[in-house]
Amino acid sequence: MSGLPGPREPGPLVLRGRSFPPGRLLVMAIVNRTPDSFYRPGLTWDEGAALERVHQVVAEGADMLDVGGVPAKPGAEVTALEEMRRVVPFIAAVRAAYPDLVISADTWRHEVGRAACEAGADLLNDTWGGWDPELTEVAAEFGAGLVCSHAGGLPPRTRPFRVSYPDVVADVLDRVLGLADRAVRTGVDPAGIIIDPAHDFGKNSWHSLEITRRLGELTATGWPVLMSASRKDFVGETLGTGVDDRLSGTLAVTAVGAWLGARIFRAHDVAQTRQALDMVAAIRGDLVPARMVRGLA
Amino acid sequence: MIVLGAVCPSPPLMARELTGSADVLPELRAASAAAVSALLAAAPDVVMVVGAGPATATWDPDSRLDLSAYAPVLGTDGKSGLPLALGLGAMLLDAAGYVGPRVLQAVGETEAPAECLRLGASLPHLAPRVALLAMGDGSARRGVAAPGHLDRRAAPFDASVERALRDDDMAALASLDPGLASDLLASGRAAWQVLAGALSAPGAADAPASQILYAGAPLGVSYLVVVLGPRGR
Repeated sequence: MSGLPGPREPGPLVLRGRSFPPGRLLVMAIVNRTPDSFYRPGLTWDEGAALERVHQVVAEGADMLDVGGVPAKPGAEVTALEEMRRVVPFIAAVRAAYPDLVISADTWRHEVGRAACEAGADLLNDTWGGWDPELTEVAAEFGAGLVCSHAGGLPPRTRPFRVSYPDVVADVLDRVLGLADRAVRTGVDPAGIIIDPAHDFGKNSWHSLEITRRLGELTATGWPVLMSASRKDFVGETLGTGVDDRLSGTLAVTAVGAWLGARIFRAHDVAQTRQALDMVAAIRGDLVPARMVRGLA
Repeated sequence: MIVLGAVCPSPPLMARELTGSADVLPELRAASAAAVSALLAAAPDVVMVVGAGPATATWDPDSRLDLSAYAPVLGTDGKSGLPLALGLGAMLLDAAGYVGPRVLQAVGETEAPAECLRLGASLPHLAPRVALLAMGDGSARRGVAAPGHLDRRAAPFDASVERALRDDDMAALASLDPGLASDLLASGRAAWQVLAGALSAPGAADAPASQILYAGAPLGVSYLVVVLGPRGR
């Protein structure tokens, strides 16, 4: 980490003009334009179903969407052209329907990022940790935000194989702060830069538990932290549950992350995540509870 | 003389800050505000707030309720807070914009009726024009969901209090049984008996009509908002 800037003062997250203060916990709803993602594959493959999900997650309290066209797991090749075909018209349709909703494009490719920003995306979620450096330049060019992630140096769509780290949190910090620093130098608005330890990406489940337990070391940097843990394998391996039975574990990770200062939560289960985050926010004293009467009558 | 008396409720939820986003029982707060407005419209020289406390004593009139005792997240200024009933009385006066003289008189929760009546009888002599605000509630055992669960004696007790206030029957208030009131978690008993002492003081005029602005137990606790007419000469 030598040579990297010290902690910054936490400030509002600003995504193409939309501002979110530090105390506010944000839900990023997953909308996959894929036929083969790991949880409920094909759920929103159909564009009508995808738009329907957008209406639903907005009603459930989502603050932003994360639209992806390529599953993280290995599988049949999805070309940049095909990825654009899946996500770009959809982003344009969502932008038309929801002028003020923050839209994130989940992509590692700069060509896709560019088309997504032209269609109205506000944030580029570079889950594969800066694999394509030109994506940063696209974010700078469009004034979009950028998620700086740690994927352990793995190429996109590959699984970790016998990965080890002397100190996984140090490795995460080194990578995400390096990416954030590079983004700032490239001209990305610092107020739109987010860091993400990227649970499961380039990590075994012990590593993902460790980055969760020590998330405070990431939030202490002052950069907004994104938690992307929803129904992931580390939850399933920890609890011995299949993908359909990982909500409780996900919400526990969510609550711990929020308590330790993470600000954005990428989620399949928006309503439940919103409730868990509201509960944490109330415990922290950042949210006024709904209705308090017990013992006060 | 007592230019006007009022009875207002004293649940913590009277403090709007304590109920979260929801405005719980706004009608109760509105009725209380109306009662205090009526008190102040009588142009008192001093407002006497009476409410239950750990012991019979007057409190610093500049003191306020420490809301952090109920909701720590709200924080505290470090000063020791008033007993609940007095604190809410002070809050009502503040909310009405009253900045004139006030006396904050606690009456011990277990104070004997005779002592309460004696204290009350001394109040009309405090100033030429005294307004009296008695803060307290009826039973807290009005149903299975009530804070004190259901006690069959609760509803008749509360009805007797309401009737006494409506009929200006100070003798009925004076005869409330402290043991029963305590069993029923009725925090207003002592303050009402101070009120009874004040309003039945020698020289009081014949009973003018009292006005019940609110009577109900929506959360299992009996709340009353009442304005009682002028007494004395």
